[in-house]
Amino acid sequence: MSNWLAETLAVFAKDWKSEARNLYALNTLALFAITTLVLVSVGLGPMGVDAAGAQVLPFLLWIVLLFATSAGLPRAFVQEEETHTATALRLAARPSAVFWGKLAFSLSLTWGLEILVAPLFLAMVQLDVAAPGQFIAALAAGGFGLAAASTVIAAIIAQARGRSTLFAVLSFPILIPLLLLVVELTRDAVGGFDSGAVLRQLLLYDGTVAVAGAMLFPAIWNP
Amino acid sequence: MTTSPVNTPAIEPAAKPAGWKTFLAWLLWGWLGLVIGAAFLWVPAQAAGFQNPVAYRILFFHVPTAWVSFLAFLAAGVWSVLYLARGRARRHDVAAAVAVELGLAYCVLATLTGSVWSRIEWGAFWNWDPRQTSIVIALVFYAAYLVLRGAIEDDHARGRLAAAYAVLGLAVAPFLYFVLPRMMPYSLHPEPVVNAEASIDMENRMLMVLLAGAVGFTALFFWMHNLALRSRLLAERLEEEAQL
Repeated sequence: MSNWLAETLAVFAKDWKSEARNLYALNTLALFAITTLVLVSVGLGPMGVDAAGAQVLPFLLWIVLLFATSAGLPRAFVQEEETHTATALRLAARPSAVFWGKLAFSLSLTWGLEILVAPLFLAMVQLDVAAPGQFIAALAAGGFGLAAASTVIAAIIAQARGRSTLFAVLSFPILIPLLLLVVELTRDAVGGFDSGAVLRQLLLYDGTVAVAGAMLFPAIWNP
Repeated sequence: MTTSPVNTPAIEPAAKPAGWKTFLAWLLWGWLGLVIGAAFLWVPAQAAGFQNPVAYRILFFHVPTAWVSFLAFLAAGVWSVLYLARGRARRHDVAAAVAVELGLAYCVLATLTGSVWSRIEWGAFWNWDPRQTSIVIALVFYAAYLVLRGAIEDDHARGRLAAAYAVLGLAVAPFLYFVLPRMMPYSLHPEPVVNAEASIDMENRMLMVLLAGAVGFTALFFWMHNLALRSRLLAERLEEEAQL
């Protein structure tokens, strides 16, 4: 196993270990996601929405996911600054290993949240998905883009003041293209329409953000 | 900034601007004066394809401001890349920040003039057409960039973090070009002046005034940018010297 991969995996394992030591953050995050979900579902009423209204449901699903992840993902870097461990991490691992390790942590957290939230959402709002494969692809690719963009923004805001509010402000313009693409893809999956072109564009967005993030990260991370 | 006043040349007291610079500034004012005059007096009074034959003249102001707000975004991205790639020169960082500040002003003007015109032409101030959507996203991006700069105290940290954010924004912006027209196929904006078939679909005099306006506004942007950049750098130097 190469040094780089070992360092990346060590960063990933460290993050999960420190979260597992204190389940408070993970529990809060899961509860936050479920609360948002319940709120949306209650807001729609006991009858749910009619066929025309179903158009808005994929959008609501992604709003719930966006809120839940934006509550949890900034932790990846904010935690390092708050506990004053960022300098030790800078010494222990090269920047690219920190970036990909943190990205892997954010990605596992996002996918975990999606596994928790998406089935509950489908059940609560009584939404049938015509193309489940495409729906899962939308969740996976959308989750990756969300995690990648959030990792870069989290690294930026961790070094600024007013971190919690700043994250939402900075991530919004970067995440809009992702949100529009992934909602389109989810809507097509629910309706059973083929949308290979949208999936390719979403994957291209994911690749762009990940590559741009990896290239920019040394400048963001090293003081 | 740790440069001592010994290494930096002293600020010239009230140096007279070079003759050619004064000439260029007057040329710019003359050019813009001609564009404004032509927009009122020279273009045809009745333009085909517009509901209101008088109000369409806002076109000669609206389109160049929208063009400059796009250009400022691009320029800020280029200066940010230069800042990160070329030895972190303070000048490049301030240049990017000034471009964003000016871009925000042009963006607001383009949005306001567009809304007013939209109300007159189409009956509503706003209807989320692709270009309206993208200009709102540009506005939010510019504002977020400035908020980020405000939240970091150290000059070097502010430079590298803001530059990284600007480059990230530049990297994801092209995706809007794919996704927005598909979501909103019913744009009320006309085709670009030079459209996909490379045919120009506009009355000759209108086109000339529009292009002259775009050239004039572009020059105005760079002139304002240059002034703001120089005064910002000088103000920083004065502050440093006062501290020493």
